[in-house]
Amino acid sequence: MSKLSAIMDIGKRSMANSQTALQTVSHNIANKTTDGYSRQRVELVSNNPITVGHVQLGMGAKAAQVTRINNPWLEKQIQREGMNMGYLDARADSLGRVEQVYNEQLNKGLNQYVNDFFNGFRELSNNPESLASRTIVKESAVAMVNDFKRVVDQLESVQEDINNQIKTTADEVNQLAKEISDLNQRILHVENQGIKANDERDRREVVLKQLAEKIEITYAEGGDGQISVTAGSTAILVSGADAATLKARHTNERNRVEIYYQSGEEKSYVNITNQLKGGRLGGILEVRDQVVEDLLEKIDGLAFNVASEVNKAHIEGFDRNGKQGVLFFDMPMGQKGAASLIGLNKTIFQDVSRIAVGSKPNAPGDNTVANIISALQYKKTMDGGSATFDDYYNTQVGQIGTIAQRAIKSQESQKNVVNQLTNIRESISGVSLDEETTKMLEYQKLYEASARMIRTADEMLETVLNIKR
Amino acid sequence: MRIADKMQLNQTNTNVLKNRTEMYQLQNQAATQKRINKPSDDPLSSARVLAARTEERSSQQFVKNINYAKSFLEFSDQSLSELSEILMRAKELAISSSNDASANEESRRITASEIEQIHSQSIQIGNRKLGERYVFGGYQTQAMPFNSLGEYVGDDGDMRIQMHKDTFVAMNMPGSKVFLGKGIGSDGIIRSGSGNPRNVDELLEFREEDKNRMEQEEEIQNNFIETRGPASIMGKSRKQKDPVSGNVGINVFQTLKGLEIALRTNDKASIQDNLDSLDQAISQVVLARSELGSRVTSINNTMESLQKGIVDNKTMASQLEDVDMFELVSEINKSDAALRATLETSSKLIQPSLLDFLK
Repeated sequence: MSKLSAIMDIGKRSMANSQTALQTVSHNIANKTTDGYSRQRVELVSNNPITVGHVQLGMGAKAAQVTRINNPWLEKQIQREGMNMGYLDARADSLGRVEQVYNEQLNKGLNQYVNDFFNGFRELSNNPESLASRTIVKESAVAMVNDFKRVVDQLESVQEDINNQIKTTADEVNQLAKEISDLNQRILHVENQGIKANDERDRREVVLKQLAEKIEITYAEGGDGQISVTAGSTAILVSGADAATLKARHTNERNRVEIYYQSGEEKSYVNITNQLKGGRLGGILEVRDQVVEDLLEKIDGLAFNVASEVNKAHIEGFDRNGKQGVLFFDMPMGQKGAASLIGLNKTIFQDVSRIAVGSKPNAPGDNTVANIISALQYKKTMDGGSATFDDYYNTQVGQIGTIAQRAIKSQESQKNVVNQLTNIRESISGVSLDEETTKMLEYQKLYEASARMIRTADEMLETVLNIKR
Repeated sequence: MRIADKMQLNQTNTNVLKNRTEMYQLQNQAATQKRINKPSDDPLSSARVLAARTEERSSQQFVKNINYAKSFLEFSDQSLSELSEILMRAKELAISSSNDASANEESRRITASEIEQIHSQSIQIGNRKLGERYVFGGYQTQAMPFNSLGEYVGDDGDMRIQMHKDTFVAMNMPGSKVFLGKGIGSDGIIRSGSGNPRNVDELLEFREEDKNRMEQEEEIQNNFIETRGPASIMGKSRKQKDPVSGNVGINVFQTLKGLEIALRTNDKASIQDNLDSLDQAISQVVLARSELGSRVTSINNTMESLQKGIVDNKTMASQLEDVDMFELVSEINKSDAALRATLETSSKLIQPSLLDFLK
């Protein structure tokens, strides 16, 4: 035998359920644009029925739990692809700057300055007696030396800029790690009560994605819902409620900023720079330590060879006053740093008549040495005698162009991959207004019907009460 | 497929951004008129453009070199043409003075003074200057190559000018060659060695050879035995055998001087003798001129190929880096249409939702 009060009770609870559901709808709509939000759904389940005599009577519905619609594997994939995206983004950006150092499309660059230098000697060879053509040689040599310096300066400023980026990125990583550890704690707290911590989990996923974009990480979720995050291969950034910190410090040995991991209690720092291959940090580290270093070495090699080949010929010559030639360029003994260290010999700088053009003393029209020097431009002196100065430099331009081009191409395709994944994610977890509006109508109707149910029960009760009158 | 609102916004964003980026790049190409604005736009081509530009600039320098050498060569040739004219005059005079039918002691003495004139004229020609440089002094461009006696103080240096990557041409003719007949007759290569050193090693080797050659020459000079008496001058060689080529060179000044002395002393045999030398001297000058001429021809040919090369390199660089306007404009139109379509459909995609239809 059913009871009127049970009908009223079911109606009341149903009204409460639809309120809960509507609140969730409203929560969904409010978070329509929130990053990383997964739509939530109230799971209504029927209450345990009661058995009265031979029949089983349903006891209405209850809100079992609020779940979020989410595919954790997809999230993980997005996080991983996001890490690649960060890597490729940072790489393409930095390479774009490196490439500009070698861009001679719109302005004068090293290729032209080297060419001008040798043409200066050709001009001098036309007229070795003239001080004017000697001055041209001097000016073109100074211009070439300056442009070697310019290339080195610009490459180094790219490295310096990357150093600063590393410092700020390390700070950001620390903040994100802290936030993850906080969220870990809150999730543990909520889920200990058997409730799903939907919003905290969403937030944690967002933060994880942001973190992965910046630095190479791996993470795993423990049984208690807390995640631990490892940067590189050994640096445990987050473990439960604890977050470790990274420190970006300038090291003198390599004269650059490197990343140190400070583990919790011990005050010791471990250098983890070499472990970081992914994320933004991985990208900029690669550009700084490999691409730019390699270019610096090559430009040093070019400067060193140009200077030493010219010197070798120049000291064999005789200058305008019949004196044996001096070294044309001041230069270091070794190749390292040659591009920034070479300079025009002071003696020549102050007195252009010291430029040695002739092969024998007191022969003012003798241009043999000038011819030998200008012929160096076509001599295969680089790469073990397989390339001229021009070939060597142009190859570098081609190489950096290729690297930058490949970086841009992979950045673009990675963007598509991430976009695609994000769309799939939104397709599963994103909020659709149409859908929420339908739900709103549905629950509103449910609310109205439940209210009507209570009124009906009330009227029935009234009828019962009126029997006696 | 379930379509969430954010997907639509994302997609709109991505598409509009893609179209805008494309437009930006095309616009940049149109503004710079260049297809390649940075190496990564086309790495291979941008390296080739650099090489083409280097080549073009070097070629332009070579053209400058050639023009300079050409003026030097032509000036030398001009001077030598004057020289050969006055030598012809001397020859005429010598012929008419060589027999008693047309000359006597008196007329020979008068002719002698004319020959003296010719002698000093040819020394003047030997001391010609182009700008601030003596043309016939070899490397000694700052000092007069011949003194009033016709003694040579220059050297036999060849001022070589680069006219192409690996080709050099001597732009001068040392006075020792054309006036003294040293090394004449060989094919423009004067020295015993391979000519001009191209690198430091060759330079050192060349110096060594040069030294040996000088010693050898000195020895020959010292061992020279005088063969004839009063009509010869200076007591030194008149006909020298080149130690290497074996050619006999003529000293123009000595020949003229000898002729003059022969005329003054009324020595008919000697006049006859000098007439032979004079003939050889003339052909020596003609030979030198033909050598200069062949150099001018060769640099003219090089000039042509250089100028063609400059145009070729310019064309190549342009083909590699410049935009094809027709193609670009049609690309811009295409992108523009795509952008418009994206924007238009986006407005339709985003606007309506179920809410718009619920009252």
